[in-house]
Amino acid sequence: MDSQMVDVSLHERRRARRMQDPEYRAAYERAAREVAQTDALIRELDSLRTDLGISKAELARRVNRNASSVRRLFTASQVRPELPLIVALADALGAEVRVVPRASKARQAASARGGQRRVTANV
Amino acid sequence: MPPQRREARRGTGRQPAAHRTGQVPWSIIYYKAPDSTVPALEFLGGCPSTLDAQFAAVLDAVAAAPPPQFSGGGKWEAMHGSMSGFYEIRLSGPRREQFRLFCLLENGTNEELARRGLQRPAIAVITGMHKPWRKTFSDGDYRRVRELGTEHQQNHPRRIAT
Repeated sequence: MDSQMVDVSLHERRRARRMQDPEYRAAYERAAREVAQTDALIRELDSLRTDLGISKAELARRVNRNASSVRRLFTASQVRPELPLIVALADALGAEVRVVPRASKARQAASARGGQRRVTANV
Repeated sequence: MPPQRREARRGTGRQPAAHRTGQVPWSIIYYKAPDSTVPALEFLGGCPSTLDAQFAAVLDAVAAAPPPQFSGGGKWEAMHGSMSGFYEIRLSGPRREQFRLFCLLENGTNEELARRGLQRPAIAVITGMHKPWRKTFSDGDYRRVRELGTEHQQNHPRRIAT
């Protein structure tokens, strides 16, 4: 490593050490899944918008929102995206939001752990 | 304009294309104060384990797909007003206690990054705070966060926890 460069590995080392704790690991993996699903859904909408050649302002007009709300959504400057807005955007883009069960093996495992049904959302 | 926002803007638009599109995963670094304490790690160490884990998961997701992409599952938010230039991760804990982790983006040309001691863009985790539900942080609380951020950005290379 260049002597002028700082060592940026602490985060990874700390995470690896903390992952030894089962409670930490479970919380990390659950949060990572939730974040990944939300991110994938929003990015999929934005990708669909781009493919259709629709500007953010035009999309906002189609769902009767101001342009800044849609722009904020696609640039992560709006926290906790609202489900009604997501559904409206999907509809305006000719898509729909669905909840689909994960693979059956995962469902069975979830049931065995207490009947919780794991779902994922996609468009 | 807050210095954090100026710093963030300085890099925008002049960075290599790979950095703009998020193809290069960003590093995650922790600011170290002049007295060698690491405010963010002290904060995380005092959080319930599950919240510490959630903060890490959000940081990792944003580092893997950094702004301007949507990332962080709705828990990563650009701050505004006097806190422009900062990003915060917002989590709720037991009894709806609110936990916040304050971050700055380290982005810019390769030369700018090298001056900061960084080989690639990074999320600089500055500090964290928590508060009861429906309470607000004071102006003084936010001022202290800004002061730490300003101190961090004055260091070349950056002084971080290793």
